[in-house]
Amino acid sequence: MMNPSVPPSFRDPHEFIEGGIEIDDVTFRFGAVQVLNMATLHIPTGGCVVVTGSNGSGKSTLLYAAAGLIAIQTGSVRLGGRPANPVYPSELLRHGIRRGFVFQEGGLVSNMNAIANVALPLRYHADVLGLTLQDVEQRARAALSRVRVLESDIYRLPAHLSFGVRKRVALARAIAMEPNFFFFDDPDVGLDPDTAKLVHEILVGYRDDRNVTMLVATNRDLLIDRLQVPGYVLEGGQITERRRAAY
Amino acid sequence: MTQSPFSLPPTRSDSQPPLSLNPRAPNSSIAPGVVQQVGAQTVGWYRTLRDLVFMLFAAVGSNFVPGKAAAEVSLGITIRQIFFTGFQALPLVSAVAALVGATIILQTQLVAAALPGEILGQILVAVVLREMAPLITAVVVAGRSGTAIATELGNMKANDEILGLSSLGIDPLRIIVWPRLAGTVVSVLVLTVYFGAIAIISGFVVSLLMGVSTIGDLQGGFGDALVPWDLPLFFIKGVGLGTIVGWLPCFFGMDVQGSPTDVPQKASLAVVMSLLACVVFNTMVTAAFYYIVGPPGR
Repeated sequence: MMNPSVPPSFRDPHEFIEGGIEIDDVTFRFGAVQVLNMATLHIPTGGCVVVTGSNGSGKSTLLYAAAGLIAIQTGSVRLGGRPANPVYPSELLRHGIRRGFVFQEGGLVSNMNAIANVALPLRYHADVLGLTLQDVEQRARAALSRVRVLESDIYRLPAHLSFGVRKRVALARAIAMEPNFFFFDDPDVGLDPDTAKLVHEILVGYRDDRNVTMLVATNRDLLIDRLQVPGYVLEGGQITERRRAAY
Repeated sequence: MTQSPFSLPPTRSDSQPPLSLNPRAPNSSIAPGVVQQVGAQTVGWYRTLRDLVFMLFAAVGSNFVPGKAAAEVSLGITIRQIFFTGFQALPLVSAVAALVGATIILQTQLVAAALPGEILGQILVAVVLREMAPLITAVVVAGRSGTAIATELGNMKANDEILGLSSLGIDPLRIIVWPRLAGTVVSVLVLTVYFGAIAIISGFVVSLLMGVSTIGDLQGGFGDALVPWDLPLFFIKGVGLGTIVGWLPCFFGMDVQGSPTDVPQKASLAVVMSLLACVVFNTMVTAAFYYIVGPPGR
């Protein structure tokens, strides 16, 4: 059902999106290194997959490609049936495809404080999401609170935050958008055990959400055990299925 | 598949199919490698030019992408950019303009002390308003803001900030490139007018202090030299030079390949290329106008 607060020219951002993540025969070369070589992976809507691989095997690149953040050389990547890398990324959101991406290093805008970072995408898409300025602030605060960012940290610039807090702010920024396509690049690396446990709980929550299609790159056994989802390994630029016993 | 040029791109030299030229082919009379180098260089320049043009049109086009809230965010950033690039440059531009205006009058007197007062007014129009004001303003903005833009965007690229924005459905072209481009265009245009005014006032003051002319002489010469064609010339130069000093730093900043060590190199390249492009553009526009309308005031 259409949300009455959303302008008619936009698709309802909360509408269920058919079609998950479709990566077909993707190749990507960075310099002389062939990072992805005819990589193929299909994740159905609501599905969750973990990709493992040795350091430098290209897990992050695979995630970037899957989220449509890098220009692949050949092959295709589709999110919800749409090309993942349009010239204007907002096009995806207007078609109901909300991506969330948690980068290894956070990827926060360095000249904005924590709450401004979380609020920026909400403000940018306020009309598409049907949000008022009050809603934006409320939602940003709720997201920061969910990942246990302290009130004293929310007006600090990323450079003045610890690595773990930066990572939590980055997670808050992503979850504030209520994504239906979620990408996690080593989500619990560098976090203390309590925070890592919190992040695992959030991931498990998204795993069980049938509206969210999720791709996680990690080598952490604890996280892999918690998620209990199909596992794949990236090796030589190709994705192969990995038996659970191999974890 | 259409793809954003600002996502992490493949390197130019390795992402494309190899060149078909084969200098090692039988009967080749050219030294092996030379043709490949020249060809690769040419292809590299072609791709840079193509990406530059694409970025300019895509940045302008981003304003036509639906999204009222996005337009408001972009406008806010543009206004801040005008403040940084235009308003904060006022002291520097004032000093440079005053010194340039004074220097031109001093040099003119040194070379031709017997020139009538009206000629000084005409020289101020020809040299300051038509040439120095747009060019020096652009040089000041390129040196001051061009470096800042290229460095900021380069760091954003290296720190995955641009990818972070894209991942959230935010158009980097709309909130990163367009505001800086619009900011430099508006700032250079306004600062050029300001530069011209300060330089002319300074020139007037110096000539009066030296007792070489009266205000009436200068005003007369000024009025004689100024023609209607000066307005479009001034506008085209302001907009064109403003575009160059915003566009090239944005491009080179966005061209950082993910390593922080790329940032100073790209920033330096951005400023050098901007200055070169400004001088070439200024000369071309002056030549074109003088070809079309003849020397003003004739």
